[in-house]
Amino acid sequence: MSTELVGALGILALLALLVLRIPVAFAIFVVGFGGITVLDSLNSALSLLASETFTIASNAELIVIPLFILMGNIATEAGMSRKLYDAAYALIGSVRGGLASATVVGCAGFAALCGSSVASALTMGRVSLSEMERFNYSAKLSTGSVAAGGTLGILIPPSTGFVIYAILTQQSIGRLFLAGVLPGIMLCLLFVLLIMLLATIKPVLAPSGPKTSWREKQQGLLGAMPILIIILLTIGGIYSGIFSPVEAAAVGAGLTILFGAAMRKLTLASFWRAAQSSITTTATVMLILIAAHMLNPFLALSHIPQALGDFLMALDIGPYGVLLLILACYLVLGCFLEGFAMLVLTMPIFFPVITQLGFDPIWFGVLVVLTLEMGLISPPVGVNVFIVKSVAPNVPLRDIFKGVMPFWLVMIAAIGLLIVFPDIVLFLPDTMMD
Amino acid sequence: ANAGVSAAETLKLAHFVSPAHVVNSAVVYPLKEGVEKQTNGELEIKVYPGGELGSGPTEQYPRVLQGVADIVWGLPGYTSSQFKKSMVVEMPGAIPDDMHGYDMLWNAYEDQLKSEFPGTKPLALWVSEPNIFIMKDEEIRTPEDLEGLKIRVSGEMTAALIDAYGGTPVQMPAGEIYNSLQTGLIDGLVTGASAVNDFKLDEVANVYSVGAPLGHIMFYLAMNQNKYDSLSAEFQQAIDDNSGEKLSRSGEQGWNARANETLKAIREDADNEVIELDPEEIAAFERIADDFREQRLAEKGTNDVLDAMRGE
Amino acid sequence: MSRFRTRVTRTLDGLVNLSSILGTLALIFAVSVTLIDVTGRLFGAPLPGGQDLSQMTMVIIVFGGMALCDRQGGNIAVDIFEDKFPARMNRWLDMAGWVLGCAIFTAIGYTMLGAAEMSKLLNLSTNIIAIPKAPFQYIVAFFAFLTALSMLARIVSTSLTSSHRHASLQKEEDL
Ligand code: NA
Ligand code: NA
Repeated sequence: MSTELVGALGILALLALLVLRIPVAFAIFVVGFGGITVLDSLNSALSLLASETFTIASNAELIVIPLFILMGNIATEAGMSRKLYDAAYALIGSVRGGLASATVVGCAGFAALCGSSVASALTMGRVSLSEMERFNYSAKLSTGSVAAGGTLGILIPPSTGFVIYAILTQQSIGRLFLAGVLPGIMLCLLFVLLIMLLATIKPVLAPSGPKTSWREKQQGLLGAMPILIIILLTIGGIYSGIFSPVEAAAVGAGLTILFGAAMRKLTLASFWRAAQSSITTTATVMLILIAAHMLNPFLALSHIPQALGDFLMALDIGPYGVLLLILACYLVLGCFLEGFAMLVLTMPIFFPVITQLGFDPIWFGVLVVLTLEMGLISPPVGVNVFIVKSVAPNVPLRDIFKGVMPFWLVMIAAIGLLIVFPDIVLFLPDTMMD
Repeated sequence: ANAGVSAAETLKLAHFVSPAHVVNSAVVYPLKEGVEKQTNGELEIKVYPGGELGSGPTEQYPRVLQGVADIVWGLPGYTSSQFKKSMVVEMPGAIPDDMHGYDMLWNAYEDQLKSEFPGTKPLALWVSEPNIFIMKDEEIRTPEDLEGLKIRVSGEMTAALIDAYGGTPVQMPAGEIYNSLQTGLIDGLVTGASAVNDFKLDEVANVYSVGAPLGHIMFYLAMNQNKYDSLSAEFQQAIDDNSGEKLSRSGEQGWNARANETLKAIREDADNEVIELDPEEIAAFERIADDFREQRLAEKGTNDVLDAMRGE
Repeated sequence: MSRFRTRVTRTLDGLVNLSSILGTLALIFAVSVTLIDVTGRLFGAPLPGGQDLSQMTMVIIVFGGMALCDRQGGNIAVDIFEDKFPARMNRWLDMAGWVLGCAIFTAIGYTMLGAAEMSKLLNLSTNIIAIPKAPFQYIVAFFAFLTALSMLARIVSTSLTSSHRHASLQKEEDL
């Protein structure tokens, strides 16, 4: 049996296990472990199980996950999330889908202080989902907005995705960061337009609130001040070099605890509850990430990425045909693989193809990161969807996937726009860097 | 191992950096091409870059020891507690002007360093070009210039050295250096010029100080000993002929050449300032570095390791 | 027999609680360490080995909550076909998931013990303040075995209850 065939069977087995309701992390573990055993040896599989588990669990950058979820939990326990959404409701509650739009804009803002889509979706999900529920927004719309909005975390700088792409392909991190800004804003606006459209077609998804007076708006904003100040301090601290985006997670959590305690909204009991619930959510998320890293060596040993690359090079379908096929490959692989693991596995193979065809590597980087974002919300292994599920356990996964669908289509449209108008990507890096 | 005809075999070589990193041209491909040519392709070396066979640099040694990969590239500096003796070569002023890092490592390998590589056979041991100061806006000419500056370091030895020079050592993951230099969270870092491109530091740094004793970075390429023993005599010979001092020299020269190219490009860019310390300025650093080295060697009981490296 | 079962259950509950408390304390510790590091750095004196501490603390945060997470049904499954399957089949699938989970955590625990032995052999520790790696691998192994044991207990108790009762229990959980 060829290695590629083993790889393909592994992917089929993964699909079958997922359909059979085996928990996602376990299913990926079993396939990764089994595949490595078949293609290499049981010893290798066991050794990788230990080393990947410990490496991911002790990754200094992933600590943002427990820290940001703690910040979200504390903000909720201390009533700050509630005040934030009261304010949003007073300001734009009467606009169709206003709260969901505000959430997506909030996600874009959060993306400016956080380089990870997972952490963005976790924190924003924790803060926003129960609030949108309070205002009778449909779970499909609210979870879809957060899962999709959260992916902006890697398009809007700082971005772990761009850093990994830059290092793998020897491109400029600065140019990539700049290149992500306009597409990030564009995608955020497209999401807002989509939400308004959905809410207009089906008002029951997002009941509009009453018109509010100027005074009510003012009071709403005043109530939301603590959390807004925390967010501004955190962003300010990053851009003035006082702390790094990773440390910002701890600073944000620390400030939230401080404000909560100072306003006497946080008791020792509610603090402990928030912290304890943070670690179980962390366990859910990290177990999926660890499992995803077991799939990477399996696919590398199967030589599937290499076979895909050879296949693409042999095709005679013109540069844009190859580009579209490569993006399609990312979409398909993104259904199963964790985004960054996928970059590591495929970039050495696809990138030379792209540069030989004469495409701009910065522009391609943005397209790739956008497809990675789509992978984060594509079934069956849509990490951001699982993230949202972990903070909204009562919403069935199928509803979240359904809710995400329209956003997924909008992202396809966004990719189309960037291919037709590459200047959206290249304008900022070309004008701001030599 | 049986002599004569050998059945075709494939070795897995794993590293954790991109396919464009200098390790590929300086070490990985010379070994791969040499071995494959000598065995007419019967012994193949398949390269898994970028952590495809397992993420991150810290688990490279366990990976080769347990046979996940047959050959790995690694930096002792990521797990310095395992390589206390080998890393003596990284200390400032350890390598005399008339010696190469790889000479020193192989001089001491048999008697001193072998115990730090249990279960593996090092195919190459070498060091990087000298470390330099890579700074944003800050000119470093004397140790006093480091006063109050935050310098990113990767290991405990460099941290202690920067402390001795009067700077403030800061620890952070490599992926965060770019942002931190840009926002001013750190004022600079200490590493070799060859790494500037790997992390795109040239985009955010603009002052480079060359010449102060800041040590070197050591590397190894190691093969699983059992795997090696299981190969036919012919295959073992092919590996032996294409590794050892020869491959180590290729590694060290490759790093130095990359560093020179990088520094040349940095000098040509008018936005940059490259400070070549004069002998007097270097001497001010050396006085501190010599004390630092003597004291550390005595503390850790590694004087005899350095002697063995220097062939004394 | 039933007294034995109660004692086992209680001990297990106690251990699961204890591990989640350790994880929670580790999280609070991680926040404090980073805040001290950031504040210190602002005044030119960062916490030596701050990143070393964060990394090893992270291990306890991630695995300390693992058993509790499983008990709270925190491991996400794709539920798209759940109501298309008969109740009996769903019961068997739940069991299959726990059996796989139990096997995986046992494997993680077992292989982590081996990794800890190797860490001792190679004298591995963190890079700046030399926190030894092996103890943390033992901790992960302990947490992993505990999670496996907790799943095993559920497999046993579920196979002892009737499928009808299981379905109604699942309903309650869903509510
Ligand atoms: Na971001
Ligand atoms: Na996916």
